[in-house]
Amino acid sequence: MAHVVLKDLVKTYGSFKAVNDVSLTVNDGEFVALVGPSGCGKTTTLNLVAGLTSITSGDIVIGDRVVNDLDPKDRDIAMVFQNYALYPQKSVYMNLAFPLQMRKLPRDEIDKKVKEAARVLDMTHLLERKPRELSGGQQQRVALGRALVRDPAVFLMDEPLSNLDAKLRVQMRSEIKRFHQDLKATIIYVTHDQLEAVTMADKMAVMNGGFLQQYDSPAQVFAHPVNMFVASFIGSPAMSLIPLETSTANGGTALTSAEGWSLGLSPRNVQKVTKAATKKVVLGARHSTIKLHKSAVPGSIPAKVYTVEPTGDVTFVQAFLSGAIVNVSVPPNIAVAPDERIWLEFDQERMHLFDGETEMALEAD
Amino acid sequence: MSTIAEATARGQTRRRMRIDGWRWAGRIFLLFMLLYTAVPMIWMLITSIKSGFAATQFPPQWWPDEPTLASYQKLLDPQNSVGQDFLRFFWNSLFVSTVTTILSVIVAVPAAYAFSRFTFPGRNFLFFAVLLRNMFPAVIFLVPLFILMRAIGLVNTHGSLILTYLTFGLPLAIWLLKGFYDNIPVQLEQAARIDGATRFQAFIMIVMPLSTPGIIATAIYSFIGAWNEYIYAYTFLSKNEQLTLPVGIQRFFSENTTDFPGLMAASFMMSVPVVVLFLVLQRYFVRALTEGAVKH
Repeated sequence: MAHVVLKDLVKTYGSFKAVNDVSLTVNDGEFVALVGPSGCGKTTTLNLVAGLTSITSGDIVIGDRVVNDLDPKDRDIAMVFQNYALYPQKSVYMNLAFPLQMRKLPRDEIDKKVKEAARVLDMTHLLERKPRELSGGQQQRVALGRALVRDPAVFLMDEPLSNLDAKLRVQMRSEIKRFHQDLKATIIYVTHDQLEAVTMADKMAVMNGGFLQQYDSPAQVFAHPVNMFVASFIGSPAMSLIPLETSTANGGTALTSAEGWSLGLSPRNVQKVTKAATKKVVLGARHSTIKLHKSAVPGSIPAKVYTVEPTGDVTFVQAFLSGAIVNVSVPPNIAVAPDERIWLEFDQERMHLFDGETEMALEAD
Repeated sequence: MSTIAEATARGQTRRRMRIDGWRWAGRIFLLFMLLYTAVPMIWMLITSIKSGFAATQFPPQWWPDEPTLASYQKLLDPQNSVGQDFLRFFWNSLFVSTVTTILSVIVAVPAAYAFSRFTFPGRNFLFFAVLLRNMFPAVIFLVPLFILMRAIGLVNTHGSLILTYLTFGLPLAIWLLKGFYDNIPVQLEQAARIDGATRFQAFIMIVMPLSTPGIIATAIYSFIGAWNEYIYAYTFLSKNEQLTLPVGIQRFFSENTTDFPGLMAASFMMSVPVVVLFLVLQRYFVRALTEGAVKH
């Protein structure tokens, strides 16, 4: 196993910058998820690490070697693809043996390693089958086995679960996580599904438009998103973002809406708001930090119910507030109807404030 | 209730009859097509085992009174001049067609792969330029190509034919193979390259085996095209010992009086390699032409 360092990585296609000055360090044995919407540059970044795409500028270090100009085969990596990329003409056994044959290992050693990998992944009975005779989950496991059999320095995974159905995906998710724990493997994992990243990774790198937005542990990214993009991308349902303006009246600072109401701020939040360059401030709140009231209470704001989505153990209420839609979760025993008048109370400790111009999070000292 | 049931039953019968009508029309049409293609070949075969006199009789003998293999013996006998010529023409055709096939596979495989996998300046233009060649009838190029061949001293050589057949066969070969490579996921090569193969090894070990049906189809296509070609062979070659079969047969048998059984026997033997090739490899051919039509 080894660590991986990306330094000022850039990839351009003509005038289009697919990857823009991405720098991050993956420590030895760490599981890092590259996450972002499609077209954000995460797969390109992975292909750059794999050597399948040439870099425009910057450095990639795997272990202690700069691998910028090395062929994929010389980088000591293994990769699992979204469509598994199993060799269709080869049996499962030969698929697993291929990377070892290419490294010119003796026949009996190949046999031993293939059988060991098959045993670990519980597919000894499938060794003679062709990939097309396997189910999606089995194919995925063979792909994982082909990566595992080599004992590489780094595992690269490109949306390995996207082609599986929902139930199998959850099951394979825990298998891959277990695989990481048992092997202490260094894994770089690309996904567009923030839930996969949050549940599996030690650290997540959130990307958008070719830029690395934030690189931290899932808990940290969840609790302290650096900007509005990260705030709205991580978490489900998404964080509600309400555009407001700061106003000062009678010595206190508050956020006011064009709808006429205003929300008083705690001293700490006032400190944050004063950091903003403009009066425009965006209030961000996750569904679990907002309280729903059926009647006005001090500090609450009037809103109107848009839809109600019961999920069984929790009910999600979407409400209109100052031109934005706000997600609130309530216990299932609270009955609200669409178009009903409600009052929302925000948790001052756990609310997020963003600069309305730069979209960056506002922090207190 | 019963009336409804009866009406439904009657409706169903009527519908079934109409479908049957269409089906029979289809069968008759297919039968007609079969006769249209098979009868000339059967007649060719029957004529080839007749004597020279029986072949020109009218009304014709539907089945020869005295079937004979004399024509075949004459054609395959290296001792007499007819047999010598025929065998030489056969060899010439085989040589030209085989070399054309090998060269066109050697050129088409990497060309098609490049068109499928790489982006390079002028890629689309080149690809359509390659196809443009096939939009014009062959005769248009006859005179210019003859002048060109004369200028480079290739008239009366098999090289002139091989070059010409390549310009005809390659565009379609490249086009056919490109479709094949487009259908092979690029991730397979990427996986192979990560698993320890060079780009070239990935191509040879992973992509080539997967594209075998396409390569075989391409080879059959080139071979048949070269084997049957007449007009260029007729124009470029004038020396008797260089002629290919289509030209050779025609010249050889129509000089004085036409030996119909001999002509038919030669024609039959000329179709044998093509038919055999096609029968042996037809499953690849069909697969090549339908590959990618549906998602697997």
